[in-house]
Amino acid sequence: MRVHQYEKAFLWLGAIMLVAFMIALLVTSVAMGIHLPGRAGEVDPLSINSIEPFNNPGVREVGPGRYEVVLLGSAWSWNPSEIRVPAGSEVTFLAASTDVIHGLHIDRTRVNMMLIPGQISRNTYRFERPGEHLLICHEYCGAGHHLMSGKVIVE
Amino acid sequence: MTTGGTYAGGIWSWITTVDHKRIGILYFVSSLVFFLVGGIEAMFIRLQLATPENTVLSAQAYNQLFTMHGVTMLLFAVMPMSAAFFNFIVPLQIGARDVAFPRLNAFSYWLFLFGALFLNSSFFLGGAPDVGWFAYANLTSSQFSPGHGVDFYILGLALAGAGSIVAALNFIVTIINLRAPGMTFMRLPLFTWMTFVVSFLIILAFPPFTISTVFLLFDRMFGTLFFEPAGGGDPRLWQHLFWIFGHPEVYILILPAFGIISDVIPTFSRKPLFGYPVVVYSGVLIAFLGFGVWAHHMFAVGLGPVATSAFSGLTMLIAIPTGVKIFNWIATMWGGALRFRSAMLFSIGLVAMFVIGGLSGVMHSSAPADLQQTDTYFVVAHFHYVLFGGSILGLFAGVYYWFPKVTGRFLNERLGAVHFWLMFLGLNLTFFPMHFAGLHGQPRRTFTYPAGLGFEGFNMVSTVGAVVTFLAVLVFLVNLVRSLRTAPTAEANPWEASTLEWSISSPPPPHNFDHTPEVTSRDPLWHDGIAPPPPGEEEFHMPNPSFWPLVVAGGLLLVMAGALVGLPLVLLGVAVTLVGIYGWSFEPIH
Repeated sequence: MRVHQYEKAFLWLGAIMLVAFMIALLVTSVAMGIHLPGRAGEVDPLSINSIEPFNNPGVREVGPGRYEVVLLGSAWSWNPSEIRVPAGSEVTFLAASTDVIHGLHIDRTRVNMMLIPGQISRNTYRFERPGEHLLICHEYCGAGHHLMSGKVIVE
Repeated sequence: MTTGGTYAGGIWSWITTVDHKRIGILYFVSSLVFFLVGGIEAMFIRLQLATPENTVLSAQAYNQLFTMHGVTMLLFAVMPMSAAFFNFIVPLQIGARDVAFPRLNAFSYWLFLFGALFLNSSFFLGGAPDVGWFAYANLTSSQFSPGHGVDFYILGLALAGAGSIVAALNFIVTIINLRAPGMTFMRLPLFTWMTFVVSFLIILAFPPFTISTVFLLFDRMFGTLFFEPAGGGDPRLWQHLFWIFGHPEVYILILPAFGIISDVIPTFSRKPLFGYPVVVYSGVLIAFLGFGVWAHHMFAVGLGPVATSAFSGLTMLIAIPTGVKIFNWIATMWGGALRFRSAMLFSIGLVAMFVIGGLSGVMHSSAPADLQQTDTYFVVAHFHYVLFGGSILGLFAGVYYWFPKVTGRFLNERLGAVHFWLMFLGLNLTFFPMHFAGLHGQPRRTFTYPAGLGFEGFNMVSTVGAVVTFLAVLVFLVNLVRSLRTAPTAEANPWEASTLEWSISSPPPPHNFDHTPEVTSRDPLWHDGIAPPPPGEEEFHMPNPSFWPLVVAGGLLLVMAGALVGLPLVLLGVAVTLVGIYGWSFEPIH
């Protein structure tokens, strides 16, 4: 079969791009270990309010410059709705939902994960600069979805 | 035995029709009405979002409207408009006198119509569903959605979905069995090919959705716990089942449009389609890969590294066959004698707009990038470029292209050009700014947004664009009405196209072909590709009109309504359905 040389070049270009995509995918996920935030365990949604650590939502310091935020989403509010952390600290969010599916998104960060009832979601982020970030529910959760917001204040 | 004959007049002849061309017209008119309904819903959404903290709508009304806009546009406008073309055009393109099961075909139409009307009636019967077209569990449970909106969603889509499955089976059998002599698979026009592929997508994608809605119905009505986390169920199950349907569904929406423009572009370039086999194979490959990418809708759920990487890679792969098609269309136009009729303008518009939608689609295939864009207006921009810029433009190309064949009349070309350019401008004004609004963080499905976050400008431009798009649709309606009032002047093949439907009069007689054509080439009308008919009259049998499909569909509608009203109505519906099936089975053949 005779293939025109431009067409051949184009096929090669396409094939190379495809292989490059796949290599990039494998290197980043396997060799560099870059993974999306995943589920970090299960929790019974009925008794979540009495289970460690969700019986005590809030911010706590777990080491020098390291904080843990236990966050509960319920229709239609966040507990706590205001989170204060110092600039430069590494913050681990441990979040869960008490009723329907919510989404935890912190504006201008890469913190974005779904909160499935019964599932614990975990994500870590370093807040470098002082400022204020909007914390919103990112998954449609009913009539008051647009009201479900909070703040992360980096001091 | 009959030869020829004409259509009977009157409304009863339309209600009892089993003729594929008339059913096609019924599908077209109904889908156009629902396209307008969905469009008006979109206009309300855009009016509400034009300015921050707007109060044109309440949050409740907004949530119902965005849910119904999605459901209506996907399932009651774009799919049935594709079905209108499947019905009218496919039998003509393969040289058949009707589909394989004409009464089943009428049954599909009535199921679709009843499902759509049933779901839309919820607006007047206590409120439409307000859970999004994706209806994520467990927001849909009776605890969090106590009204009947979700029940209307389940039952209405069960009716319409059954209609789609039945129609898809009908077209698979038709295309396999009723092809004229010599019409081999690799001579099928591309539109027929894509109908064939889409039919397989429908019969494989709709059952998981039907099953998940049945699970949901059981959860809501009988207290089962399929999706109820408090009782050990799993809301993620709904997401998987929904997207195993939902992602192939987007190919169900786009492949017919790809098929249409693969017929239109060669006609108006006066060149055979470039790389016909590759266009066919890439269509098949898109459909096949389309079943392996559903979880890219769920990256934010936290699926684990293996699943995320696999779905990310498969999603990248699917860009290849789609890109192949784009290049084949461009290569078909390359060096051709181009005629920029309205159908061609819409086809070229599809190619351009789909490239934009495809590029943002490849961006989503990268899971970390997708995570940033999840549930923002960037996603809304992406899928409107592929659905409006792709499916809708492709379907309008089909309307302008086949209108003379269907009605014997031409749509006005000058108004057609105005329609195209207004729509092109409108859709880009509406959807392009949404990319930026999304990347700035504007979330989807929120009925309003506060001032001062930098969303105001983008949203105002989008609303202006929506108004322009609406004007474009009005221009089309004016064109449609004006054309229908002119005298029929179209000859058999006004565009000098190559496929079989153009070998017979416009509009075609009820029996389509006096003689079943024998095909000897892929572009029969360009290559003397129809063997001369044998002497004498050909004998054939045309199916009788029947009202039994309507009775059976009506019975099923009563069953669905009864699920909300009470057991007696369900039993009545079952009785009507059984009587209908009995009458259908033993209907005498005249």
